[in-house]
Amino acid sequence: MKKTLLSIALCAALPAMAAQEIVVPQKDKAFAQKTLSLKVGDTVSFRNDDSFSHNIFSLSDDMPFDLGTYGQGQTKSIVFSKAGKFEIECAIHPEMRMVINVAP
Amino acid sequence: MTPNVIRGALAALALASAVAATAEEATRSDGALLPRASREAAIFRGGLVYANYCVTCHGMNADGNGRAARLYNPRPANLRQSDKNDAYIRLIVTRGGEALGRSPKMPPWGEELTDEQIGDVAAFVRSVNVTSNGHDDTEARSN
Repeated sequence: MKKTLLSIALCAALPAMAAQEIVVPQKDKAFAQKTLSLKVGDTVSFRNDDSFSHNIFSLSDDMPFDLGTYGQGQTKSIVFSKAGKFEIECAIHPEMRMVINVAP
Repeated sequence: MTPNVIRGALAALALASAVAATAEEATRSDGALLPRASREAAIFRGGLVYANYCVTCHGMNADGNGRAARLYNPRPANLRQSDKNDAYIRLIVTRGGEALGRSPKMPPWGEELTDEQIGDVAAFVRSVNVTSNGHDDTEARSN
């Protein structure tokens, strides 16, 4: 019985264990990479490596978000809980853009 | 001389006058049509700043209906109805909403924009405001 319960718990935890965190630095008013491919459940941490503030948002229909403004050395993270194509922007620097593709 | 010939001559005279006026205007010492320090020039420049940095949230019509507006509650301010003066607008643009007790979703632009750009966008915002006369008003007013 205990082994059965342990197996069930382990199977339930496997997807979460497989989820990964990717750090995307922001430097010189640009994302370190223009595109990124993920799976549902993965986390992206946007790290501000510039000496001024950034702001991250996305207007995707699947999961719109705004992580707010944050300064040098700070990081804002988000879990992509839905599949789809996410265009990521910075509200302060209109030229900053990247695309995150999230697979199911 | 027929009426058509007279009309043609008058039209040619009017065109020549317009060209002369334009030439006179174009030969200003700096070549600019507006004095740089004028409020009109500030409004023009401010419109460019607004189109690049502000339109995403505050919208093309400065009415708070930008493409990102749906992310926020409360929505971005309807700048056409704002009662804020130039000084306040410059302050909130520079320091962001949270510093003034307003929405933290309004980023601080002081690190990105020059003092001139901030002044220009303030002039532009005041120019589209339907509740004011669009002139600079340095006397602070409350909400």
